[in-house]
Amino acid sequence: MTTRRLSLRIGQYLLVLLLAVGLNFALPRAMPGGPLATLGGEDVGLLGAEEREQLLAEYDLDRPLPEQFGRYLAGVATGDLGTSFVDRRPVSERLLARLPWTLLLVGSSLVLTTVLGVAVGAWAAARRERRRDTGTIIGVLAIDAAPPFWVGMLLIAGFGVQLGWLPTFGAVTPGGPGGFGDVLAHLVLPVATLTLAGFAQTALVTRSSMLSVLGSEPLFVARAKGVPRRRLIGHHALRTAALPVHTLVLLEMGWLIGGAVVVETVFSYPGVGRLLFEAVLARDFPVMQGAFLLLTVTVIAANLLADLTYPLLDPRVRHPVEVTQ
Amino acid sequence: MRPRRIRSALPLLLAAIALSAACSTAADDPAGGTDAAEESDTDEAQGTAEEEAETGEADTTAGAANAEALTIAIGGDEGSLTPYTYRTGYPGWNLLGLVWDTLLVLDASNEPQPLLASDWSIDDAGTTWTLTLHEGVTWHDGEPFTADDVAFTFDYVSRFTQSRWTNAVAGVVDVTVVDDLEVTIELDAPDPEFAVRPLADMPMLPEHLWSTIDDPEAAGVEAAVGTGPYRLTEYEQDQRYRLEANEDYFAGPARVEELNIAVFADPSTAFAALRSGELDMSAIRLEPQLVEQFEAADDLAVARGSGFASTLLQINTERPVLDRTEVRQAIGLAIDPSELIEVVLLGTGTAPNPGFVHPDSPLSDPSLTHTFDAAAANELLDELGALPGEDGVRALDGAPLSFELLVYADNPPRIRAAELIQEMLAEVGIEVTISPQEAVTVDDQVWPGFDVSQGRDFDLSMWGWSAPVMLDAGRIAALGHSDPEIGSLNIGGLDDPAVDAAAEAVQAAEDAEQRQAAAQELQAALADARPFVTLYYGDEIFGYRPGSYDGWVFQDGQGILSKLSFVEVG
Repeated sequence: MTTRRLSLRIGQYLLVLLLAVGLNFALPRAMPGGPLATLGGEDVGLLGAEEREQLLAEYDLDRPLPEQFGRYLAGVATGDLGTSFVDRRPVSERLLARLPWTLLLVGSSLVLTTVLGVAVGAWAAARRERRRDTGTIIGVLAIDAAPPFWVGMLLIAGFGVQLGWLPTFGAVTPGGPGGFGDVLAHLVLPVATLTLAGFAQTALVTRSSMLSVLGSEPLFVARAKGVPRRRLIGHHALRTAALPVHTLVLLEMGWLIGGAVVVETVFSYPGVGRLLFEAVLARDFPVMQGAFLLLTVTVIAANLLADLTYPLLDPRVRHPVEVTQ
Repeated sequence: MRPRRIRSALPLLLAAIALSAACSTAADDPAGGTDAAEESDTDEAQGTAEEEAETGEADTTAGAANAEALTIAIGGDEGSLTPYTYRTGYPGWNLLGLVWDTLLVLDASNEPQPLLASDWSIDDAGTTWTLTLHEGVTWHDGEPFTADDVAFTFDYVSRFTQSRWTNAVAGVVDVTVVDDLEVTIELDAPDPEFAVRPLADMPMLPEHLWSTIDDPEAAGVEAAVGTGPYRLTEYEQDQRYRLEANEDYFAGPARVEELNIAVFADPSTAFAALRSGELDMSAIRLEPQLVEQFEAADDLAVARGSGFASTLLQINTERPVLDRTEVRQAIGLAIDPSELIEVVLLGTGTAPNPGFVHPDSPLSDPSLTHTFDAAAANELLDELGALPGEDGVRALDGAPLSFELLVYADNPPRIRAAELIQEMLAEVGIEVTISPQEAVTVDDQVWPGFDVSQGRDFDLSMWGWSAPVMLDAGRIAALGHSDPEIGSLNIGGLDDPAVDAAAEAVQAAEDAEQRQAAAQELQAALADARPFVTLYYGDEIFGYRPGSYDGWVFQDGQGILSKLSFVEVG
């Protein structure tokens, strides 16, 4: 990619970011209801009109919307995401407390999803139109169709309740000694759920990409000149077929932050997805804005990364002039 | 039907599937899945539910009277556990009671008993309360608790008004410190509720720490210093609390040395963790369809008692047609609460008093009972001239009796109840369309801005009030009075002279006896004016492992998570 094209692309992303920042402010306020129940607590119904106004004023919610928007923009520009309506802690602090857990959870499952997906996809493609390929496809589609919360509950019932092998909730044992082993044990079931729920797509994309490569002329020639089958698939076919998979994985990486809300809920895992979900229920505007912003930035960053790394995999993009058909 | 005792993996998996369908936060269509589970279990579970005693401790073979550490589930974060930062009435306020003490404490049957105040008296006028404080009480940081802290607390909650107790201390004219262990509190008028709230409800704050806190809602764990049986030693937001027994507790150290409170995002995970042994008790209410399973298991038990949270069919009395008292009365006659209790709660609930108040509340009028009589409902509507059209739906003054019924989408039992009500009302020619919506969105239509003077925009809504309303005559008056100042909970916009008069009589009551008579009057007036149809009061049901600890005490209408379960008070 030339510098000119790169700067154009970054400019496009900045525009998207700006739009998203505006939407992040507008959408929470367009929702029915408001944060009053969160601000007023359990006895919000007993508050007098004056107390209600005072409460809204404390959080600047009595100001005209343009003024609120201005303050929010100024805050975002200076890295201040405001304070949560729920506990008055800075939004950035609340997000940062959750971020490592989400990165750990979704990061591990992304790695597993990719490895498992590519392996199953390549394996199925190599056995195309045999009975085992059909069986694999049916199995993969069935797993893909199962809702993650259901898979999670099954894993809890099986490995947690029946067998008693693994902890079923949280990131560490409450009151326990903690430590690496404890964190790892708590990670197994949620990561397994996310991986089961996610690897099918990678597998299917890998399979179809592999099939088109395997049927192409260069591979035909390679086979004719006697390249061993293992090398043919692993070296010649898989590398070429990796392009769409690379795009898919990076797009999934964009969803890293907010995409695990269901699994985080089922396993009571303290991630960003759950924070966002709870913020929506509480109409905690600052946390919603902050979490959505984080989400937007990751999606854009992952897209940018996909754009930047694509040429490394595909020489045709790297040297467009040299390509001849 | 399924075998009663679940031993093999398959039924367990099926149960998990049914449960996961009830997982409101994750399911796309929570209603569908849960309905199936509830229906298939109805007959069988109904039998056991009726045979069950008030507190089911049937399986307690090896009950433990003491424990080193327990892990307990709650359903959401409760902030830094100070009186200004906890979140929910239940279980937040109950958890608060483990770290903090009140002057008086409600015992298992909700009668006020001494706690920080070892003795109290009221003068003949009913306006001066004299409290003698317990000797030798210290805060968790070792400072002595004195009468100054009491005076400070009353002053603090009246200055920082975002508290549960600000209204309750509004009538306090003066708090006088007589000496370190005696205070007198002067009220502007006799208040029969004063012992319950604030005295047995408001935690005492340490003056030496809280006098410098100007923004109590931002108070962190360092401000969570009470005199209670437990000190808060660890808090990880949205994950867990660790409470360690206060060895110097004035009423003797707690029977359990350490409590680990785990925050769950999904109730069904908590019930699974209770079965796997990771939890010793779940303070999240057990779903009725699990009661039988828990009772059948050797290592699990169920604590059960009456619950004071109400479930209602709220009517907008300002809507055309619904503004006719007879139409609302016909709706009440057409509804059969006993079927709702059987199908939705599998029998784990109490039949309604049409005047709102739970039969076990001291304020209740036991003579009021719900009448189910569909024929009478039809007759009443015929007499009004609301005759059925071609489609069987009645019309009055040209307007069809066709209404939208709002219900929280994350509450499958209420959705199920709404579906049954839809069928019952169809029997008398009233058409109901059920509209499940997100909770805040429903609130915004039924109770915009949590201020009844802002009006309302709904026909019918499934609704409920939390337990405290049931014990407080003043709040029952607020349910129906037409003036928003008094009727702050009158979400149906009722304007009925008899209800207004009765509500005012409750407010004017000077002693418990007068208040009782007025409250009963008010219940009869509400039952007659029908701003809502009281449907049922679901039991409070909690699962626990008796092998870990079996000293749980059930407080009526509240449950087992309270200091009553860990120390000898009240």
